[in-house]
Amino acid sequence: MALAPEAAVGSPHAVTPRRAPLARRLAPYAGFSPAVLLFGGFFLAPLVLIVLYSFWEVINYNVVHHWTLDNYHYFFSTPTYVTTLLDTLWVAALTTLLTLLAAFPLAYWLARYVRPSVRRPLLVLVIVPFWTSYLLRVTSWTTILGQKGVLNRFLELIGVIHQPLSFLLYDRPAVILVLIYLYFPFAALTLYASLERFDWMQIRAAMDLGAPPRVAITRVLLPQIRPGITVAVIFVFIPVLGEYLTPQLVGGTRGVMIGNLIVNFFQGAEYTRGAAISLLIAAFIVVLLVVFRKQLDVAETYGR
Amino acid sequence: MAGEAADAVARHKHLARGALVAWAVFIYFFLFAPIILLILFSFNANQYGTLPITGWTLHWYHTAFSDFQIQDALKTTLSVALEVTVIATIVGTAAAFPLVRAHMRFRSGIRAALTLPIMLPGLLIGVSLLTFFTSVLHLTLSNQTVVIGQAVYVTPFVILVVASRLEGFDRSLERAAADLGANSYQRLRHVVLPLIGPAIFAGALFAFTLSLDEFVITLFLIGGGNTLPIYIYTQVKFGITPEVNALATILIAASLTITALAFVAPAMVRRARRHRRLRPRPVTET
Amino acid sequence: MSINGPVTRRQAMRAGALGVTGLYVAACGSSGTTQSTASKTSSAASSSKAPVTLNWETWNDHYLPAQIAAVKQATGIAARPSLESDDSDGYLKVKQTGGQYDIVSTDALWAPKYFHDGLTEPFDIASIPVSSQLYSVAKEVPFWKAGGGYLVYPNGWSSVNIYYNPKYVSPAPTSWEVLTEAKYAGKVVAENQPTDLMAMAGLATGAKEPYGMTTAEISRAQDFLKSAKPAFLKLVSQNSDSVRALADGSAWMALENLGTDFRVKAAGGPVVKEATPKEGVVGWIDGEQMVKASSHKDRFHQFLNGMEQAPWVAKNFLVNGRPLFNEKAYKMLVNQGYKERADLLWYNQPEKALQLTLKGPSGNVQAYIDAFNQVFGA
Repeated sequence: MALAPEAAVGSPHAVTPRRAPLARRLAPYAGFSPAVLLFGGFFLAPLVLIVLYSFWEVINYNVVHHWTLDNYHYFFSTPTYVTTLLDTLWVAALTTLLTLLAAFPLAYWLARYVRPSVRRPLLVLVIVPFWTSYLLRVTSWTTILGQKGVLNRFLELIGVIHQPLSFLLYDRPAVILVLIYLYFPFAALTLYASLERFDWMQIRAAMDLGAPPRVAITRVLLPQIRPGITVAVIFVFIPVLGEYLTPQLVGGTRGVMIGNLIVNFFQGAEYTRGAAISLLIAAFIVVLLVVFRKQLDVAETYGR
Repeated sequence: MAGEAADAVARHKHLARGALVAWAVFIYFFLFAPIILLILFSFNANQYGTLPITGWTLHWYHTAFSDFQIQDALKTTLSVALEVTVIATIVGTAAAFPLVRAHMRFRSGIRAALTLPIMLPGLLIGVSLLTFFTSVLHLTLSNQTVVIGQAVYVTPFVILVVASRLEGFDRSLERAAADLGANSYQRLRHVVLPLIGPAIFAGALFAFTLSLDEFVITLFLIGGGNTLPIYIYTQVKFGITPEVNALATILIAASLTITALAFVAPAMVRRARRHRRLRPRPVTET
Repeated sequence: MSINGPVTRRQAMRAGALGVTGLYVAACGSSGTTQSTASKTSSAASSSKAPVTLNWETWNDHYLPAQIAAVKQATGIAARPSLESDDSDGYLKVKQTGGQYDIVSTDALWAPKYFHDGLTEPFDIASIPVSSQLYSVAKEVPFWKAGGGYLVYPNGWSSVNIYYNPKYVSPAPTSWEVLTEAKYAGKVVAENQPTDLMAMAGLATGAKEPYGMTTAEISRAQDFLKSAKPAFLKLVSQNSDSVRALADGSAWMALENLGTDFRVKAAGGPVVKEATPKEGVVGWIDGEQMVKASSHKDRFHQFLNGMEQAPWVAKNFLVNGRPLFNEKAYKMLVNQGYKERADLLWYNQPEKALQLTLKGPSGNVQAYIDAFNQVFGA
């Protein structure tokens, strides 16, 4: 059905080759048709709608087809909104950095010092939390970070503090902490996949040539796993940009991110304004994906 | 002199390794602590679900099982998940073939386009479909709209799983079958599909698990119904009673079982096949 | 601590105007009540036990899980509650989902809006037997009468006051300005109700009609909210969240309904007290509406008849603490020894409810929500 016809490549033709009928030529691509229907109709079309909406207006709960840049203008002229956007970029960047810093030592340890037979189960252990509900993983942190939560109780028990720490929850640090928790497996596995392919003998060789361990790592290892690091960055940064549930559940009024704003606009029937911000975020993400497409491609041909 | 230097290097190395092991232990603790606590609190007799744990009880599991709202949400979740799995598996497997095999100039671009739904925030899929359904198609939101939304999100995963298996597929097997007279349909049915069967199965299980847990897109598209994640979300806003923890624990156990199946099933199938091949089969069997 | 307190001339005049309009509407409508349509009379008599599930958009304090189970047992009608955060949220959800919801709860002046926008249908309240247990004033709310019937089956009412923990908050708050004090930064919780928070800000800045502010008043209210923003720890979706925040000490103040002090105590929290700012408070009367596009309108009456029985209402009061419109339940509470608590919460004085600055859609919904969003970012 969808197999490429076994063409006789390079065989000489005495006669000018006729072009195969259209159906025959399209046959190999037939497998795409259900996907085209699904994605074309229910992914692309709605996105196009969002693009259009971002240039229209909502008057009295109804969308009016009146072309305007007002939605964008409104967004950028409201200081709170711009702050939220910048805060989101900042949170995403910080989360990505911290996640990678936390994941790298683990991946390094697994790739370099752990016996291959033991690696598999340890890797599975990293993924296991990921197989539990996202919602539950976020809410479990509210019992830990709350005023009367586990962490505060523990710190009081061992005498480090005498009053519960209130900044642990419903503020930006809580959002970042929970995000790191959620995206850690992405970073760890991507970095591991990259480190696993590295030939550790090169480190030994570098040290034999007189390089101290630190230099060996920075000058030999890091440049070679740069594609892996880039992929890990992409896999954490982009989803965090669109996060909305975590800030809503643990962010309070100070941990608001751009996702919350988008949801708020759509749930408040401000479709056009929500569409404008959605488009901004989507465009930014697409730009990132295009800029880093080479690194992402390399990762995928390694086979997931 | 050289011995001392070697000692210093060795000590340095041990310190580094020790630090790495300590960090790894901390990380595993960090990853599992919230989940363990979640499970622990499901046995908490204190009805506010907080410390101190006043007693241990299975009461919450009992209420979770008998709560008809949970049963209702479970039914919806399962039926949606089944539909999504069927759609995603068929569409995804079909799309994986041309992605890997057909001659395309912009293969990486098309691959990127096909995986775009998982790179964009689920939030965007949710709001764009909500707007599309209500403002353009004038459909009422229902379980079916949820199925469509989840299918858009889940199918790329199936494509990736099946495609990666197809890439490593040994084409010479197909050529051998062709040499023996099989046409393309027969090659597909008797050679390719059985061999990538485990990958399709893994993709299907993946799709099923993703759908069970899907929340953001569902929230926008479900209208008045409830799936388990939405029910949990409502309860979380209500106040985390241990009943939610009990439900959560049951869900964790279920997800783990399904995922374990995904790893174990292909091996079991292979062993069963090997068993069959060892027994001689009559030539006339097709 | 009197909501009767500074009833301004403006409020009295508006109440008067409402009364006159109400009388007028009632006069026009009364001729219609005698000619009830089929949907209103037959359903009250229907006692079918065919299983059905009604989607009910409401707040968490309108039902008890055991109550829903019992009603299901008795009538075969299962309810699937879906929680709304505030009136405009509920309104939009019904607007967007057509006939998905069968019943939607709302406050005060939102009900006429629902009706005028074709989202709900009036019903004959007298045809629901349990309505005889209600205070008569609840069945005569002027702006709830329309189209020859009644728009809302009354549930309860409350004012929204400041509840504070006297251990940390002193002196006792006397004005909304307390929200702008730096020492309470991050210690206040309120429900995520943009229109109503704007209205409260309007009260704080002297707006004449908190739900019908002029552009200048909106701007002043927005500025007030901006200066009060640091005080808010989080904006919660249901009142049980506020109770928990006060109970575990993460919040010292909450803008909440009557009865919060009892609920905090029941949740194992400290003693909290109620304060009424001198600028005034908003309040609400709420109840259940029948969604027009619902396909189960014939079970609406039977469902409410099961839910709104006095024993359950009395239990609800003990759990959620704010006054309800069921008079028989009051008598039951007195018999059970809760007279003092009920009286403390003005249970037996439902006419007070109609004297509050009642919640409703603002004149310019967009402007209110915009102003709110611009302060809180989301």
